[in-house]
Amino acid sequence: MSDEPFRRSPTGITVSIPPLLRSWLIAQAQAAAAGAVQLGDPVHRRLLGPIDPTEDHDDPLTELQRQFAVEGPLSLLVATAEATEISEEEAEQWIQGLQLILAASAARLAVVTEDDVAALDEVQHGELTTIQALISLLIDALDG
Amino acid sequence: MDEFETGALGGTDTAQRLDTPWEVVLWNDPVSLISLVVRVLRTIFGYSKDKAEQLTMIVHNEGKAVVWTGDKETATSYCVALHGYALSATIQPAR
Repeated sequence: MSDEPFRRSPTGITVSIPPLLRSWLIAQAQAAAAGAVQLGDPVHRRLLGPIDPTEDHDDPLTELQRQFAVEGPLSLLVATAEATEISEEEAEQWIQGLQLILAASAARLAVVTEDDVAALDEVQHGELTTIQALISLLIDALDG
Repeated sequence: MDEFETGALGGTDTAQRLDTPWEVVLWNDPVSLISLVVRVLRTIFGYSKDKAEQLTMIVHNEGKAVVWTGDKETATSYCVALHGYALSATIQPAR
């Protein structure tokens, strides 16, 4: 990763991340979106489990809102992953999309506790820390 | 924390008219960054940096925190907004 993958510009946020990382992000976003719609998939349970734990599922309107809240940022991330500049609004959705990818990855790796994180192998741990680093750097670019 | 919290989606007046207030509970997860959680609490609820940091540390240290209390409809909206950032949040009747 370059020193400054995200930089504020007069018109938004300049994105300077390597092509391989962009391709990886697209694949991760697509995998998260696919897992989210599969009932029984740990990604679905993590991203779309009922907000009232005493219920089996959300009411239809809330369910629809939540599906949109997952699909929207992930779709936008895929659509703009090759862009060299994104708007501030798109950058905010990138943060949401990256968070969704992070949560989906953690669910797929069965990470629930700090101990689970510590038990990951180097590649798995690197996957999570890469996404965390992108989130942190994008927040810095947006808010800094 | 106050009995009722207000935020960008409103809350206090409506909540006090309802018999049962509802709580938005934010749960700790081992991968979300503290800085991200603070930022999201500030963005969604309009909390000050100090209050957002205080709530985030309660979540981090105790496993969960009630981050808002009020009417069920608004609590649901806030919960959906938190889930938009993939944060683990649930709603429950206030005890």
